Amino acid sequence: MNSIFALPQVDWLSLLPEIVLTGVASLILLLEAFAPRLRSVFNGIALAGVAAAAALLAQQPAGLYFHGLIESTALTGAFSQSILLATAIGLLSAQGYLKRERLLFGEYPALLLWCTTGMLLLVRGVELVTIFVALELLSVALYGLAAFHRREAVSSEAAIKYFLMGALVSSFVLYGAALVYGETGSTSLAGIGDALAAGTGSAALVFLGFLLLVCGFGFKLGLVPFHAWAPDVYQGAPSPFVAYLSVAPKAAAAVVLARLVILVTSAPTAGDWTKLVSVLAVASMLLGNLFALAQRDIKRMLAYSGIAHMGYLLIPLASPGASSWRPILVYLFSYTLMNGGAFVLVSMLYAKPGEQHAIANLSGWAYRFPVAAACMAVCMLSLGGIPPTAGFVAKYLIFAHAIQHGNLALALVGIFASLVGVVFYLRVIYMLYMRDEIASPGGLKLDWTGQLAAILAAAGTLTLGLFPGPFLSWVESALTSL
Amino acid sequence: MMQQLLDLLLGDTITRFVFFPSIAALPLLFLSRASARAVKLYALAVSIVEFALIALFAVSHWGGGTMVARDATVTWLEFGSLRVLYEVGVDGISLPLVLLTALLLPLVLLGSFKGITKHWTGFAASMLLLTTGMLGALVALDLLVFYVFWEVMLIPMYLIIGIWGGDRRVYAAVKFFLFTMAGSLLMLLGILWMAWSYGELTGVWSFRYEDLLQLQFPLGQQLWLFAAFALAFAIKVPMFPFHTWLPDAHVEAPTGGSVILAGVLLKLGTYGFLRFAIPFFPQAATQLAPWVIGLALVGIVYGALVAWAQVDMKKLVAYSSIAHLGFVMLGLFAFNEIAWQGALLQMVNHGLSTGALFLLVGMLYDRRHTKKFDEFGGLAKSIPWFALMLVFATLASVGLPALNGFVGEFMILIGAWQGGLRWATVIATSGVVLAAVYLLKMLQETIWGPITNDENRTLKDLSLREVVTLLPLCILMLWIGVAPGRFLEPSRPALAAVLATYRAQMAAGSPGSVSLAAPADPGAVPAATFVAGSSPAGSAGTR
Repeated sequence: MNSIFALPQVDWLSLLPEIVLTGVASLILLLEAFAPRLRSVFNGIALAGVAAAAALLAQQPAGLYFHGLIESTALTGAFSQSILLATAIGLLSAQGYLKRERLLFGEYPALLLWCTTGMLLLVRGVELVTIFVALELLSVALYGLAAFHRREAVSSEAAIKYFLMGALVSSFVLYGAALVYGETGSTSLAGIGDALAAGTGSAALVFLGFLLLVCGFGFKLGLVPFHAWAPDVYQGAPSPFVAYLSVAPKAAAAVVLARLVILVTSAPTAGDWTKLVSVLAVASMLLGNLFALAQRDIKRMLAYSGIAHMGYLLIPLASPGASSWRPILVYLFSYTLMNGGAFVLVSMLYAKPGEQHAIANLSGWAYRFPVAAACMAVCMLSLGGIPPTAGFVAKYLIFAHAIQHGNLALALVGIFASLVGVVFYLRVIYMLYMRDEIASPGGLKLDWTGQLAAILAAAGTLTLGLFPGPFLSWVESALTSL
Repeated sequence: MMQQLLDLLLGDTITRFVFFPSIAALPLLFLSRASARAVKLYALAVSIVEFALIALFAVSHWGGGTMVARDATVTWLEFGSLRVLYEVGVDGISLPLVLLTALLLPLVLLGSFKGITKHWTGFAASMLLLTTGMLGALVALDLLVFYVFWEVMLIPMYLIIGIWGGDRRVYAAVKFFLFTMAGSLLMLLGILWMAWSYGELTGVWSFRYEDLLQLQFPLGQQLWLFAAFALAFAIKVPMFPFHTWLPDAHVEAPTGGSVILAGVLLKLGTYGFLRFAIPFFPQAATQLAPWVIGLALVGIVYGALVAWAQVDMKKLVAYSSIAHLGFVMLGLFAFNEIAWQGALLQMVNHGLSTGALFLLVGMLYDRRHTKKFDEFGGLAKSIPWFALMLVFATLASVGLPALNGFVGEFMILIGAWQGGLRWATVIATSGVVLAAVYLLKMLQETIWGPITNDENRTLKDLSLREVVTLLPLCILMLWIGVAPGRFLEPSRPALAAVLATYRAQMAAGSPGSVSLAAPADPGAVPAATFVAGSSPAGSAGTR
């Protein structure tokens, strides 16, 4: 480590990606005030900021910074890249939508970038207070974004629901952090780990503390039974934002959740976390997919399917350890591409945000918008875990991990849930390809940025499915550096 | 890896003919505005080139007893202790089915020129993609690669049934998809379990066919694993009671879809038993053989009786498929050489004769838009060439000596008798009689007798295009029937090798815990029937 000659000062350089994102966001807000004519390029500026952050992130040396508050490893770098990818998808798909809805203001990219900043910090944070501050930063920005379509009542409703539930859950996280600190005497994860290994503190209170923390991040992931907000928020919030909301916070929250579970189970006195995580995973997979089956609105359907996907994501944590990171990371990348891509298409294919996004309205679109429909089909197949798509490779790694660690029952439930999932993903393809067009879409035009995002997401999904080799080697290199 | 794949694609390899159709389908993406005529001709040209590639490959590998080849191995993904290799090869078991697939593709496209009236670009693309899936599943030597190809077949077939099918097409398409998916997901778990077991013994997971073949499981585990594989394959075959998707899919699918479904997709089920389920789990297969044979017999008799009750030509042919594949299953679980050869031949035979029957029914449907018996009668008087072809294909399907169906069924029955399955043989033979009953009934009601419906008087007889579509099938039916030896020859060594391993493992008994077979005499294991083609000694170099 290079800390020998480092003065006891703040390691600003280690925060460079976050600083760039915050700076670009502030710049956009200033431009919004003083040069509103540049509004049409705000998203472009934000995208450049994301690209710069991604480049800086790739250069970042590994190490602990800020006196052990945040860390930088190849692993956090890889997760951060997936968050930046989701940010890029959210920005690209927003341009056309915001213009169409006359909402093209600087606040959207600014809030999005601040939110991303919070997520990057969340991924890197190894100390409970830092984690909480980062969580609040991203949450507050998310509440604002959910309400961004200010003329639509559903958008405000979504934001209020999300805010009320989110605020409650933040208190869970805080209370959990306080309990853990009280029992172990440390807020840094490493310190907590040492204390747990030494057997300090009451096992019951530590368990309760971690349970509250896990509940908090389970809420952000949308795990059953903390999932109730997801369908309403997804349905009401602006679709391009949902493309972001449905993937980026999941990556950030999954990292913290995995850190916490791996940490607490490394202690000799850990409670039965395997059972707890398994219950959450099974409930999320089954209920998510079964509820999705009954949905007639595509955004609600994708919300429930997202709940199920977070259940799959949890399977490797049923046997927590260093090997759990691999499948989680691959799954999050695939999920970012396929779910982000699906929501990008939803935001283009449905003209009005207030109307019901009925799946039936997709009827026959394959013959009017062949490219968009093909991208949608690829995303759906991938979400269903059908080869040769990224979704299959990700599910395969999850199931392989489960079998390797003797969780055959979890794998079986996962497989049953996948089968249920296929039914509603196929329904979308059926609507697109096998029905005649019912309504004229009233002069809707696909915008090129959204189409670009959709094509990139679908192409990425297919490429990861057909040639996973290079991507997996990259992930592997991120993991061996641990 | 990309460079290696590119080399494979450009070389004279299996990979080339597997992926050629789907790569050739890519330009279709940009041709959505092209005229249907141009798309038809393009697709036909692609399929003929594909046939030529495979025919040349087959001819150059046919001579002698070792007509086998494999491509250089490429690492598809490597992740921790998981490794999946892209490894493909052809041996005497897969070669006949590969050839059948290649033959059916141009015929199906040609036969669909009139029947498919909308979205030809999509139809052609689906067919070509489907071909890649089928060929890939037939040549895969790595189980995960096999699984990927196996699933890849589902999507185009789902689209073919769902977009270009009959009135209840969506129901049929979804049912087809879900049934197949349900079976294959359990197979995926089985595959993962095997690969993990291999990893436990050697430290590295392996999905290679030849590696997994060395695994010996205790009987208890074998039964579970066999069940996981057998369910996937039994649904595909389909065996009673997993057959209910088949009549729906066949009846609703467009003609081309039905031909491919009957001709190749169902064969992948029986191929799966022969290639994977039986060699992997010999003791479990033997122990469960009475059940499988029982279900096969139910399929033979039940399929035949239900076919007898049909008044719709396409449904009749669909149910006859269940009966015919029951014979194949009976042959496979008789575990002897003549039965296996008969079963493999019968897979090809069924593809030819049922394919021809579906094409003929489709041609009739193009003219009259109905497939019901009572709409017809006396067709021999108005469209004699059609009637001639229908009689020919029907007789092949019935099993008339000197046509192909007879050879396959006869070998299966002899094999089953020799294998000690006497009662099963007797019951199966009754299936042959029943086949004659229902198929001749179809002939009687549609082409013989007086013309009862005036619309049938003015029908046009087969066009040149339709004759060209049917002729190759008819020639092959006759050729195989008269001179079957030539067609049995390539598969003999491969089947004998699988059987030798099976017998050796049965003699050794199942182990008490999971173990690896001792490296056997290289002359006896099936691995030895694969002769290195373009790569030096296959896997050893790349591991």
